[in-house]
Amino acid sequence: MPGMNSGLNISDPTVVAAFKAALVHQGLIALLIFALVGLAWITIRAGLPAAVGAGAGPAPQAAAVAEPAWRRLLRVGFGLIWVFDGILQAQPKMAVGLPSQVIEPAAASSPPWVQHVVNWAGTTWSYHPMQAGASAVWIQVGIGIWLIVAARGPLSRLAGLVSVGWGLVVWVFGESFGGIFAPGLTWLFGAPGAALVYAVAGALIALPERAWRSRRLGQLTTAGTGLFLIGMAVLQAWPGRGFWQGISHGQPGTLAGMTGSMAQTPQPGFLSGWVNAFTTFDEAHGFAVNLFVVAALAVTGAVFLSGRPRLIGPVLIGFSVLCLADWVLIEDLGFLGGLGTDPNSMIPMVLLTAAGYLAVARAPAKAAEPASSPAAAASWRDRLRIAAAPATLASASIGSVAAIGAIGVIILGAAPMAAAQASPVADTILAQAIDGTSTPLDSPAPPFSLTDQHGRDVTLASLRGKVVLLTFLDPVCTTDCPLEAQEFRQAGQLLGADSRRVELVAIVANPVDYQLGYTQAFDRQEGLDGVPNWLFLTGSPAQLARVWRDYGIAAEIAPAGSMIAHSENAFVIDQQGHLRQEMGFDPGPGTAATQSSFAAELTDAAQQLLRQS
Amino acid sequence: MSRPRRRLAATAVLLPAVMLAAGCAGAPATTAPATQAAPPSPALNTSLDTAAGTWAAVVMGGSAAQDNNFWQLFIRPAGSTRWKLVTPPGTADNGGLVLAGDGPALVTGFRPSQDLTYTPLIQTSDGGQAWSSLNPLDAALASTPDALAAKPGSGQLLALLNGGSAEEAAPGVVTWSTLASQQVLAATPAGRRCGLRALTAAAFTPAGIPVLAGSCTRPGTAGIFTAGNGTWQATGPVIPAALAGQDITVSRLTRTAQGMTALLQAGSGPAASLLAAWSADGSHWTLSPPLPLHSGALTTASFGPGTTAAIITSANRGQITAGAGSAWLPLPPLPPDTATLAPGPGGAADALAVRGGTLTVWQHDPDGTTWTKIQVINVPIPYGSSS
Repeated sequence: MPGMNSGLNISDPTVVAAFKAALVHQGLIALLIFALVGLAWITIRAGLPAAVGAGAGPAPQAAAVAEPAWRRLLRVGFGLIWVFDGILQAQPKMAVGLPSQVIEPAAASSPPWVQHVVNWAGTTWSYHPMQAGASAVWIQVGIGIWLIVAARGPLSRLAGLVSVGWGLVVWVFGESFGGIFAPGLTWLFGAPGAALVYAVAGALIALPERAWRSRRLGQLTTAGTGLFLIGMAVLQAWPGRGFWQGISHGQPGTLAGMTGSMAQTPQPGFLSGWVNAFTTFDEAHGFAVNLFVVAALAVTGAVFLSGRPRLIGPVLIGFSVLCLADWVLIEDLGFLGGLGTDPNSMIPMVLLTAAGYLAVARAPAKAAEPASSPAAAASWRDRLRIAAAPATLASASIGSVAAIGAIGVIILGAAPMAAAQASPVADTILAQAIDGTSTPLDSPAPPFSLTDQHGRDVTLASLRGKVVLLTFLDPVCTTDCPLEAQEFRQAGQLLGADSRRVELVAIVANPVDYQLGYTQAFDRQEGLDGVPNWLFLTGSPAQLARVWRDYGIAAEIAPAGSMIAHSENAFVIDQQGHLRQEMGFDPGPGTAATQSSFAAELTDAAQQLLRQS
Repeated sequence: MSRPRRRLAATAVLLPAVMLAAGCAGAPATTAPATQAAPPSPALNTSLDTAAGTWAAVVMGGSAAQDNNFWQLFIRPAGSTRWKLVTPPGTADNGGLVLAGDGPALVTGFRPSQDLTYTPLIQTSDGGQAWSSLNPLDAALASTPDALAAKPGSGQLLALLNGGSAEEAAPGVVTWSTLASQQVLAATPAGRRCGLRALTAAAFTPAGIPVLAGSCTRPGTAGIFTAGNGTWQATGPVIPAALAGQDITVSRLTRTAQGMTALLQAGSGPAASLLAAWSADGSHWTLSPPLPLHSGALTTASFGPGTTAAIITSANRGQITAGAGSAWLPLPPLPPDTATLAPGPGGAADALAVRGGTLTVWQHDPDGTTWTKIQVINVPIPYGSSS
C-alpha cells in the first residue's frame, strides 16, 4: 500500500524522543485543562451559592429512572478500556510503527477497496507520526474519562455517541473493518473487530433514558448477540476454511497457524508457553477443538436468542470463561509486543453480553421524583445559553465538570491532528530522523562556473539575489538520486510563488557519465525538464572535480558494475552567496512520507532566508 | 414490533449474515489456460567475437536480492587464452549489459534498473582498458542480447526498445530517431506475410543495412526484415518443409566477421527444434540441420570466431556448430554453474561458470571429452550498493 509506510525504523530514536516529549507536553496541558475547569467550577460555585443550592444539574432533571446496572457496566467498563487503549497508544513504537506494523498487515488480506480506504488513513499517520500518535492517546483517554465520569444526562449520552464515532474510525481505518471482508474471519481471533463492539456499546450508552425503562432493549441486545454467535458458529463450522484440521498437508491448520505465529511476538515467557501449548494441543486435536468451539458458540447463541434470563445466566458464565480462555490462549491478550492497540475483542464481548443479561434480568429501579426547581425544569438547551453558563457551571456536578475536562483532552488530541491532516506535507521529523538536523554555516559559498542542461553557462555569481538550494546528483544513479531530485521538485512546488526567488540547483556527481545528454535524459526521467527554476549543471571532469573538492563532495568510481559512490548533501546558499546550512541528504527509505519530509525541510530552509531578506 | 425494534432486529440478522458471506469469500479463483506465446528470449549471458578478442557478459552475485546481481564484462584478448574483467565503470548494471561489436570497438548498453528508465551507453576501443560515454538512449533497451547493434566503422547504432520499437542513431550518437515499430512492421506486406508478433533482434547486414527480426505467427515463416526502398523486405531463410507447420522465432541475430548468423526456434513442446542460419549478405541463407530441443528451450547462445556458434539449452546441454551448414555437435556435460559458452577457433570452447562472485573458466578442446579448469577470477561484487 503506497504511502502507508514511512520506512523508518519503528524504534527510531529521534521520532521516539520527539513523541515522548510531545506526550509529556500535551499531558501537562491536559492536567492544566482539568485544573482550570476545576478552578473555574470552584470559583463560580463560591460566587453563586444560590445556583449551587438550587441543585440544578443533569442528575436531578432526569432522576425519574436510576441508571440501570447494565448501563453502568457498559459505561464504566468501556470507559476503562478506552483509557487503557489510550495508554497503549503511548508506547514508544506506536508513532512510527502503527501504520506499517499494525494497520497495513491488518488490511493486507482485505479486498483492494478496503486497502484503498485504509491506505488513506495510514498515509496521513505516516506523514505526521507524532501528531497522529499523540492524538490517538488523548482522544482515547479523553473518551474513557468522559464515559467514566459522566453518569447521567446529555453529557453522558454524548460520550456514548463520541465513543461510537471514534470506535467506527478505529474499526474502519485501524482494523480494516475488523477484517470482515478478508478470508479467514473467525470469532476466535476477534471478528467482527473489537472497535465495532466499542461502537455498539457506545450506541447503547447513547440511548435516551426512556429506552432504559423496559427489558425490551436487553432482549434485543441478547437476541442480536445470540444471532451473531450463531452466525459465527456456522462460519467456524464451514468446511474448507482449515479450522477442522490441526495439521493440514504437513502444515499447521488455520487456528494452529494463527496461534503459532502469535506466540512469536514479544511477551512474557509463561504466556508464550501457554499459547504454544494450546497450539500443540490444537495441532493434535484440531477437530475436537473446533467442534467444541462450534458447539459452544451455537449453544450460547441459541440461549441468548431465547431471551430467558434463567438460561442466560449460567450460559453467560460459561461463555465468559470461554472468552477469557480465548483471550489468553488464542488472542494472546492482544496488547503485548509494544504495538498492541487494545486488549482485543473478548473482554468487550464479555462486557456486552453481561450488560445484555443484566438488562434482561434486572428491571430498572425507580428513583424518587425530584423536587421541582426552576433550574431543574430548564431544558439543557436553555442551560447551554452563554448568559446561563456561570449558573450552569456552578450547579454542575463534579462528574460533569470532569467530563468537560475530558472533552478538553479530546480536543487537545484532535486539534493538532486535524491541523496536520489539512497539510499535505510530511513532518520534517522524518528527514531529521534519517539524516539528523542540518548544520548551520556562515561562509562564502565556493564559486563555480558550469553548464546547465540547456547548454548555457551558469556561475554561482549569476544566481546572486536568489536563495540557492544545491545538491549533487549522479544522472545514471538508479536509487537515491532520482528520489533526491523528486524532493527538490516537491520543494519547488511547495514554495509556490516564492519559487521565483529560489533556484533549485544540482551538479553532476559522476566522472564518467557527465555529458549534457545525461543531464537532459535525467531531467526528462524525473519530470524536471519543465521546471523553470531547476538547473542541472555539468562541466568537464576537471571542472566538476574542482567543485566537488570545494564543497567536500566525494565522487568515486566503484568497481564491478556498481554505481558511482558519492556524498549525499544539500546546501542552502543565501541571496548574497553565503552558505547558510548543510543538510545530510541521504533519502533513507525513499517513501512518499520521507520524500515529502525532505521537501518540507528544504522549503523551510529557503523560506526562512526569504523571510529574513 | 416498533420501528426501532425492527431496525435493531434487522441489524442483528444482517450483521452475522454479512460476516458469514464475507468470511466464506476468498476461495482461490481458477486460473485460465495460458495462451501460446513465443519462446522466451535467451538470457543476456552471452559472448561475441570482435577484432579485439572475445567478449563475454555474465550475471554475477546471486544473493537473494535481485538488485544484488551485477552483470560483469570479461574479455579474452585476441591471441590470449586468459580472461580479464573489464566491466565498464560509472553506471550500475543490475539491469543487464547488452553488447554490440564494432570492429575492434565494443559498444555496451546498460539496461536500466530500479529507478533509472533510460539506457546509458559506453564504448571502448582498446579492449576495455578505457571507456568513454556515448549520449544515452532515452528509453529502455529490450531485454534481449541482440537489442543493440553497431554499423561497422561508422558509429551508427541500432537499438531495439522495451516497447517494441527500433531506434537508430546517426554516427556520433547525438540524437535517436525511430526506425520502425512492431506495429508498423507488422502492417507492411512482409510483416503481414509473417504475422509478426514481436521483435526480438536488431542487426546490420555486412553492407550496413538495418535488419530487424522477430517471431511470426504464420507457420514456417522466419521473420527477418531488411530496410530498403522505403519499406521492409522479408529476407529470412526458407524453412525446410519438415518444419513448415511450426511457428518460427528468431532468437538471435548477429553480424559476424563472415556475415550474419541467426538462431531460429521452431515450434514448441516436444516438437521444438533449433536451427542455425548463416548468410554472407543477409539475404541468402544456409541452414543447419534442426537440433531437437526435446521440450526444452534455448537459454543462452554465443558466437565465436568465423561462423561458430554455441548454445546451452534448458536441459543444461551444450551444443556447438562450426558454421555454414554444419550440424550441431554435443559438448561434454557442462561444468556446474555454466553461465555461457565462448566458442573458440577450431571447435574449441570455454565454459564460463559463475558462482556468487567467482568466475571459473573451463576449456574444452575439440578432441577432448572433458572440461579443464584453466582460470578463476574473483570479482568484488558490490553487494548492497544498489539496494
